[in-house]
Amino acid sequence: MAAVNGELALTVLMGLLLVGVAAWLARVENWRSYTPLGSGGVYGGETGQAHHEKPSGLTRWLTTVDHKDIGIMYGLYGVIAFLIGGAMVMVMRAELLDPGATLISNTFYNSLLTSHGITMLFLFGTPIIAAFSNYFIPLLIGADDMAFPRINAIAFWLLPPGALLIWAGFFPIPNLIPAQTAWTMYTPLSAGVGGGNQANAGVDLMLLGLHLTGVSATMGSINFIATIITERAEEVTWANLDIFSWTILTQSGLILFAFPLLGSALLMLVLDRNFGTTFFVNDAGGAILWQHLFWFFGHPEVYILVLPPMGIVSLLIPRFSGRRLFGFKFVVYSTLAIGVLSFGVWAHHMFATGIDPRLRASFMAVSMAIAIPSAVKTFNWMTTMWNGKLRLTTPMLFCIGFVQNFIIGGITGVFLASIPVDLVLHDTYYVVGHFHFIVMGAIAFAGFAAMYYWFPLVSGRMYQRTLGKAHFWLWIVGSNITFFAMVLLGYGGMPRRYATYLPQFATLHQIASLGAFLMVIGGLIWLYNFVVSYFEGPVVTDGDPWNLKEYNLYTGEWEWFDRKLKTTITDGGDEEVATDGGLHGPVGAETADATDSDDSGRAMDANDE
Amino acid sequence: MANKIFDKETLLDLTVNFVPLFIILFFVGVFAVLNPWGGLGDFLSIVAQGLLIIPFIALAILTYISGKAIAGDEKTKTVFPPGQATVPGTPPLTHDEDDGETAELEGDSTAEHADEPAAVESGEPAVVESDETAEEDGETAQIEATESTDGDGDRSA
Repeated sequence: MAAVNGELALTVLMGLLLVGVAAWLARVENWRSYTPLGSGGVYGGETGQAHHEKPSGLTRWLTTVDHKDIGIMYGLYGVIAFLIGGAMVMVMRAELLDPGATLISNTFYNSLLTSHGITMLFLFGTPIIAAFSNYFIPLLIGADDMAFPRINAIAFWLLPPGALLIWAGFFPIPNLIPAQTAWTMYTPLSAGVGGGNQANAGVDLMLLGLHLTGVSATMGSINFIATIITERAEEVTWANLDIFSWTILTQSGLILFAFPLLGSALLMLVLDRNFGTTFFVNDAGGAILWQHLFWFFGHPEVYILVLPPMGIVSLLIPRFSGRRLFGFKFVVYSTLAIGVLSFGVWAHHMFATGIDPRLRASFMAVSMAIAIPSAVKTFNWMTTMWNGKLRLTTPMLFCIGFVQNFIIGGITGVFLASIPVDLVLHDTYYVVGHFHFIVMGAIAFAGFAAMYYWFPLVSGRMYQRTLGKAHFWLWIVGSNITFFAMVLLGYGGMPRRYATYLPQFATLHQIASLGAFLMVIGGLIWLYNFVVSYFEGPVVTDGDPWNLKEYNLYTGEWEWFDRKLKTTITDGGDEEVATDGGLHGPVGAETADATDSDDSGRAMDANDE
Repeated sequence: MANKIFDKETLLDLTVNFVPLFIILFFVGVFAVLNPWGGLGDFLSIVAQGLLIIPFIALAILTYISGKAIAGDEKTKTVFPPGQATVPGTPPLTHDEDDGETAELEGDSTAEHADEPAAVESGEPAVVESDETAEEDGETAQIEATESTDGDGDRSA
């Protein structure tokens, strides 16, 4: 009784303390002044947030709350993470050229495998989408900025420490090793129990870093929901909201429900590891509890990553097909349907855990149902292109590559959703091939399509067309070689996550590595192209470099770009800028030589395919 | 009002969500009738049915809300091509079902329906069906003019 009274007293005391803290904070700071609406903004009108004069140099980037600057920082962050994650997998693919452990140790392979997955999903996938959405959503919907610009900045700045924590085990810090739990962090391995080395603090740092990125994504999602719902221009209604904004709105809803769950589960795991709690101990099925919690987040995460790329592809394919998206509302409704159903399929990742067959059957049924809205989209994309005036520019090629890879990745996924097939193929390379067709073949392809498409808008210059196409062809060939080889390895029974394998799998592994090396060459070409073009590419002098006006497909962000070009004031630098939006107006001297081989100005040769 | 929003065209748009709803409902029925693992009514069977019924209800609600929001705005406000509403000079869409056609906005057809703005003002969508032939593949297009063609004037440049 005394103990209960003591607890009660402590609870009351804690409550009083919290009320006191809240009251004190309210006194010392006028928090309402931090929100646009609180500073005199009105619904749908001026937000009170304006970017008057930006400081120069590093200070600008450290202090900016401009959605475009933050978008660029997200993009740079995502690209750096992509290069690091890519380097990690290339070491793994080099190791897999040979059946034995010849290049790196098994434990280092496991570390790379874990970090590659987490880096690509959380440090590249989500941020690169945030890059496009931050930069372009306000422009597309006619908003001044994001609804909460400071929260937007905070959300980004949580990411770099998150990455450092996730990669901490690789740094030369004594007694710290990288996590080797795979990105799924299954208990009991990730709980650090048993005779392995996963009780190391490197795993704790990785979990905390992952938590930071989750907090960042959640803050961003709240911002996007508020922005799209409340900051739209008057004429942007639900009936004509662009498809990219729809997918970001849906994605943000998914993040809002999924990521807090991941955060909670991660903290429970950290508590299990360090403070003796028993959430995930084996005895009462706790290890399976982790899988349920993880996949309740993890499957929506798949759609968090794929819906915005679908939006990008739905936005871009019509621009280069000379017609509006076929069945626009089908795509919108199916996006929303995917959003809801994605929370009802999580246990299809757990068919092999001994789960009750009745539950398993239900998850299979919903998994089959969710395939419909995804398939509908592919038909929409194909029918949009059907009989259209196709212009096979680099962004369009990447979009077509997306559709192709998404179909293969999607169909292989439908087979995995079938219980009998899954029980055979579970934990084999078939699964690896399936989801790489989606995450690399589709999501990354759409990301690069968007990078090429909006490169002129962000940089004010045009990339080199030939190099862009070389990049595409190396990637479409490379990705299909690699991921088909993985699917075949899975049919052969090759288990995932192994540094070594039986000699009979050597040929297919070598083929997979060959495709990966092709992709590396493509990636290096892309990097060279973008860096060189950023500094020396032909200056874009027209707000319509893709010739969209001709097809009445000119969207809001290019209108903004055009306005920017027309109102830019020459500051005395040596570079001329267009002031009249002319076609091939005052292009710098370096442009003249480059126009033979480059996309420049009005994507002049986009029709020559 | 609801039946005005959920007219034939809107329901047709929503069929994309009716299909997964039907698939889920089908399995609810199959598992109830065939009952392959026995024990209908025990806890796990109820959970299994709940795993189907809860997504079904959630999707049905979302389909209703989104259909109401999109079709409602479509019928009461000026509809521009998606993503192009903020571009000055973009003519509003005059066809409710313009899918698959070229993106060229026919100025003529805009003018054709210019005499029906009053119906929209009073909240009644002006529905004009015609046998106008689609440009490329000769399909017959059903055209609904759902908004006033003078809506352009409402937009701030």
